[in-house]
Amino acid sequence: MINTTLLSSMLALAPDAHAGGAHAPATSEVASGPSWILLIVALPMVTTILCGIYAMIGNKSKLPAWTTVVGAGIAFLCTVAMYLSFDGTPYTVHAFDWIQVHFSSEGGDKSMIANFSFYIDTLTIYWMLFVTGLATLIALYASEYMSHDIGTSYCRFFGAFGLFVFSMACLVMGDNLLMLYLGWEGVGLCSYLLIGYFYKKPEAVAAAKKAFIVNRIGDLGLALGVYLTFVHFGSLEYAVLFNDPTLLGYVESAKVGDFSAIPAMAQWIPLLFMIGAFGKSAQFPLYVWLPDAMEGPTPVSALIHAATMVTAGVYLIARTYPMFLASEHALPIVAWIGTITALLAATIGMAQFDIKRIMAYSTVSQLGYMFAGLGVLTPTGGAYHVLTHAFFKALLFLCCGAVMHGFAGQLDLRKLSGLRQVKGWGIVSLGMFIGCINLAGVPFTAGYFSKDTILAEAFVTPGYAMIGWILLITAGLTAYYTFRVFFRVFMGPVEYHPGDELHDHDHDDHGEANHHDAGQHGDHHADHFHPHAPGWAINTVLVVLTVCSIFASGLYIVGGNKDAHTKHYADTMVSASTASYHSNYGSHAFEYYEKDPEHYPVPGIGPRGTIEQPLEMPLVGGDPHKMMYYISGVIGVIGIALAWFLHLFGRTNAAECKMDPIARMFGPIPKLAENKWYVDEIYWAILVTPLRIGSHILHWIDKLFVDGIVNVFGFLPRLLAWILRPSQSGVLQGYAVSMAGGIALLLLTVFVIILQGGAS
Amino acid sequence: MIEKLSFIIPELILFIATCMVMVTGQWPVRAIRQFTPWIAAVALVAAGMIATMTPSDPNALFPNMIPYAKFIIAFVGLILLVNLTGTVDRDLEDDVDKGKPFLPLRSTGAEFYAFFLFSLTGLMLTASADDLIWLFLALELTSLPTYIMVAISTHKNASREAAVKYFFLGALGAAIFLYGFALIYGAAGSTNLAQIAEHFAHNDLGTLGLAGILLSLMGLSFKIAAIPMHFYTPDVYQGAAAPVSAMLAFVPKAAGFLAIIAIVATVGWNEYGRLPTTVESLIWIMACITMFVGNTLALLQNSVKRMLAYSSIAHSGYMLVGVLAGPGHAGAPFYRNGIAAILFYLLCYGVMTIGVFAVLGAIEKKDREGNPEEADDIEDLRGLCKTHPVLGWTVVICALSMLGFPPLLGFVGKLGLFAAGVSAKQIPIVIVLGINSAIAAVYYLRLVAVAYLDKGDRPQQAVNLSPYMSRRLAGACSAIGVIALLVIAQPLVDAALTAAKFNGPSRIDHNQADHELESDEHASVFVSDPAHEE
Repeated sequence: MINTTLLSSMLALAPDAHAGGAHAPATSEVASGPSWILLIVALPMVTTILCGIYAMIGNKSKLPAWTTVVGAGIAFLCTVAMYLSFDGTPYTVHAFDWIQVHFSSEGGDKSMIANFSFYIDTLTIYWMLFVTGLATLIALYASEYMSHDIGTSYCRFFGAFGLFVFSMACLVMGDNLLMLYLGWEGVGLCSYLLIGYFYKKPEAVAAAKKAFIVNRIGDLGLALGVYLTFVHFGSLEYAVLFNDPTLLGYVESAKVGDFSAIPAMAQWIPLLFMIGAFGKSAQFPLYVWLPDAMEGPTPVSALIHAATMVTAGVYLIARTYPMFLASEHALPIVAWIGTITALLAATIGMAQFDIKRIMAYSTVSQLGYMFAGLGVLTPTGGAYHVLTHAFFKALLFLCCGAVMHGFAGQLDLRKLSGLRQVKGWGIVSLGMFIGCINLAGVPFTAGYFSKDTILAEAFVTPGYAMIGWILLITAGLTAYYTFRVFFRVFMGPVEYHPGDELHDHDHDDHGEANHHDAGQHGDHHADHFHPHAPGWAINTVLVVLTVCSIFASGLYIVGGNKDAHTKHYADTMVSASTASYHSNYGSHAFEYYEKDPEHYPVPGIGPRGTIEQPLEMPLVGGDPHKMMYYISGVIGVIGIALAWFLHLFGRTNAAECKMDPIARMFGPIPKLAENKWYVDEIYWAILVTPLRIGSHILHWIDKLFVDGIVNVFGFLPRLLAWILRPSQSGVLQGYAVSMAGGIALLLLTVFVIILQGGAS
Repeated sequence: MIEKLSFIIPELILFIATCMVMVTGQWPVRAIRQFTPWIAAVALVAAGMIATMTPSDPNALFPNMIPYAKFIIAFVGLILLVNLTGTVDRDLEDDVDKGKPFLPLRSTGAEFYAFFLFSLTGLMLTASADDLIWLFLALELTSLPTYIMVAISTHKNASREAAVKYFFLGALGAAIFLYGFALIYGAAGSTNLAQIAEHFAHNDLGTLGLAGILLSLMGLSFKIAAIPMHFYTPDVYQGAAAPVSAMLAFVPKAAGFLAIIAIVATVGWNEYGRLPTTVESLIWIMACITMFVGNTLALLQNSVKRMLAYSSIAHSGYMLVGVLAGPGHAGAPFYRNGIAAILFYLLCYGVMTIGVFAVLGAIEKKDREGNPEEADDIEDLRGLCKTHPVLGWTVVICALSMLGFPPLLGFVGKLGLFAAGVSAKQIPIVIVLGINSAIAAVYYLRLVAVAYLDKGDRPQQAVNLSPYMSRRLAGACSAIGVIALLVIAQPLVDAALTAAKFNGPSRIDHNQADHELESDEHASVFVSDPAHEE
């Protein structure tokens, strides 16, 4: 990395005190950690390179999958070791010097330091545990799921998979905002590559482009935010940034509701970060890419578009939580956008028929919950929901994937029924059931606890009762659409129709599988179609995830730390990190209030009320934290009961149910919801079409006018050359004369310059 | 004088090797004849290693110049030697294989290596020169052998024509800078460079001194192939065998720049880092026109050698920017020291240009009579990456590096020149440099495109590997060098910076605070006393 230092020192026309890379990297007070932690980042990269080599030598086995599973597995073990050896003090691990630019500005000499190093605190560990753990499991699942593509495509899949884990590790573990940005773009790239995995399918290509382009909008926000952070705070390193007295001062004054002392620039930073987070985590109005992203292979949907990458926005906000606290409007906007997204996506999800799309909208909706949690001052609730959601949503996706894999791409819930009773599908059905009760928020499941934390916090935070009510209604809708899937696909009479991949012989990516199926079954009728039950790898993963989903609820009970006033595991982990500013207030607001209402340290941030403003506390006459257990439990059960009545009770075939006549009573509304409220079409009309027209106009301006100018300039050197060419006659005497003449001419020129009085 | 010996041990080593080479090259026993290049190689390695241990000379204008300069001379010389090996003696040995007797008097193998080493000896002596006479003799020792090497490098008449042109025009150039040296001696009353600098620091340059400096610079422009004495370059490069052209691209240019730095240093940069207005104007004009002439004429070439010759002209223009920028103030870092930038760029330029020449030498095609002839047309490189990957990639890497494509070596070198120019507030010439880098991209990218983008499946006249394994090796060495030197760029840059540490007296411009007054004074000196002109 000598050259980076060299170039950056040369690029920066710095005062000589900083000459030639002689400066030591700025030392932060954070201790440095053991270097084996770098393995967590390095191993996925190694697997990617190996997959590239396998592709080059034309490997035709499952070797890429095993390489990736082993690489991710060791990375997971290292993460566990990192967790176990963590003693509560954050530390950094330095890989190499990356960007070090030193320059002088009006305020004195500055340095922009962004090293390739990693910042380890509880939030990092918390995130990396489930990222690497799920990556290992899902790689194992994919080894079987992708087996019909063995060959170059198989290598390509696992290469991108490893690259994703690497990027995600950079995003989560990086010790500065630029590393986060690197990982942010890296996961975006991998998402693009994997959504477009079936690149011969036009829908997949369109979905990949859509995901990439929509994310650009968010990325622009993040990039500007990172830039402003450096301009305002003078550092991008977490260790420096979050101990910056300026920022701490802002947070202190924000806590008493005084925003007048905080400059507008500092308040803009979180708003820009927020845009980035909305893009990556699929929040309104940038959520439209996520449902389309389901064109990618299902393991990708499970890992990237449900469990890990889409939570990057939550991570970003949690990581930079102090900055969000220091902004008057950022957290309220986050809360409201999250709520709107949760409701909107849930309504769309209710009307879809493609089970994978239902899961996609459910993901968008659940991400909305997490954002609402962040917005109502409970990063703990948000982060806990991230964890529980990662397990149960990955489980749900992988179950859907197993169905898709077994039924030749069939995902329509009107064409599948009663799978529970089909031989070989017991584990899938069980997994699906566990996932569904979590998502629906059935009492004592993990999803129930994490959702309640957010709901209760919404009710105790002054001014957010409305958000609480909307989220409560959404919880009911969630329970309904979740069990709609379960009751339609897994319960009821046995009936199934294979999907179109069975007879789609010229589909290149599934060529081998088609041949196999066609040879075995002969034709496409349901009577003769034998679903291809999942093998050991898929089943193992489903069992592990089922167990994880069940036991994730335990994290709500254990892991609390009395000294740190934390209630449970997620609280302990989040409260000890940079997302900790809430912990003295937010999740214990009521306790503090009960003890000392006079001096209740209100999270009184601007519009959320001040000390003078009374709290909208008790909900239905009790502590919202306790009341919420009953209320949301009841609402969840009502939703499930409704789904049971409408979609299972008395249903005799796959296609029809009691819901159909009821849906007709609502007129056009179900149709509108099925068509996603025409959000895509609206975007198309008001954004894409004008942009296209504008770009066509600019294209012609560029072609006719700008290119013309450029061509003229391109022609000038040639013209000069044609003028100069005769001077190279090749005749010796000519050269001698030219040289002598040239010398005379130059002397004359200098003479003239002297006479002119030094024109240079 | 005896104390001077400690500074020229590398030269002595090369000289001893030269004597040995002259004997072994004519030896009747073939094994000993074939051992000749190895002697030269060992001598170069030894000279390069010993050069790094040379003590610094507190009396010289650039006290630490010798270790770095001689090291890069030996380093690039080694690649050149690999490239040159066999150019002359291979045909001879083939004849011996066919049963012809070996006639020492008819053989040119020994002279070829000897002249090569002589030339490098002269180049090293240029680096250690502290006296005008020494400098002149060293420059001539550098150049004279090259005239003959051009003549004997091939059997074609084109080579002889090139040699004659080169010789006569070289004599013209030498005459001009010798005249300049004489005038400088007349003005300063000493031939010692440090004493001249001392004189010019305290006395006005005067008409005589000014004329001497200007004529010296213009005469030396022959060595570096800059205007107004650049005309010979394409003809000579084209006429010589490719390895010899590669040598011409580096050795005289390095000698010329070392001499120019020495001559300009006698006038010195004032406390604001500026040369006297007149000298600055001359170098400015030379740099500007040289860049434009080189780059625009290179656009029209189909002969790769001519293209590289014009590229060589253009690169001299780039490096003159470093002279304008000067060494900066004491303790200036690399990006503010134009002299360090030149010294580093010489290394970069040598490595990358040899790469392309080596590839030209490594392939051959049949001429009309079916005899093998050197490839020169750009079409001969078509699809080289597919047909001969090592050679093709060498062309691609070296051409991109000459273009200054990040992160290759040429980029680092050119960045140094840019940064030095900017820090010296020579913004206009830096803009010219930028424009020219853009123009140059056209023909370098043409080389890259021809070698890399073409599939190599078009029916074309066959281009074969020439029987010189060593040239392929030299090409590969250059390509690897372009990348490997990047990895150790920091120590090299530091060494160049040390070498460029200027020890001369700071010139006192009485009226520097007021530019107009200063120029008026110069003008009045020049005009009021025309008698000095005579």
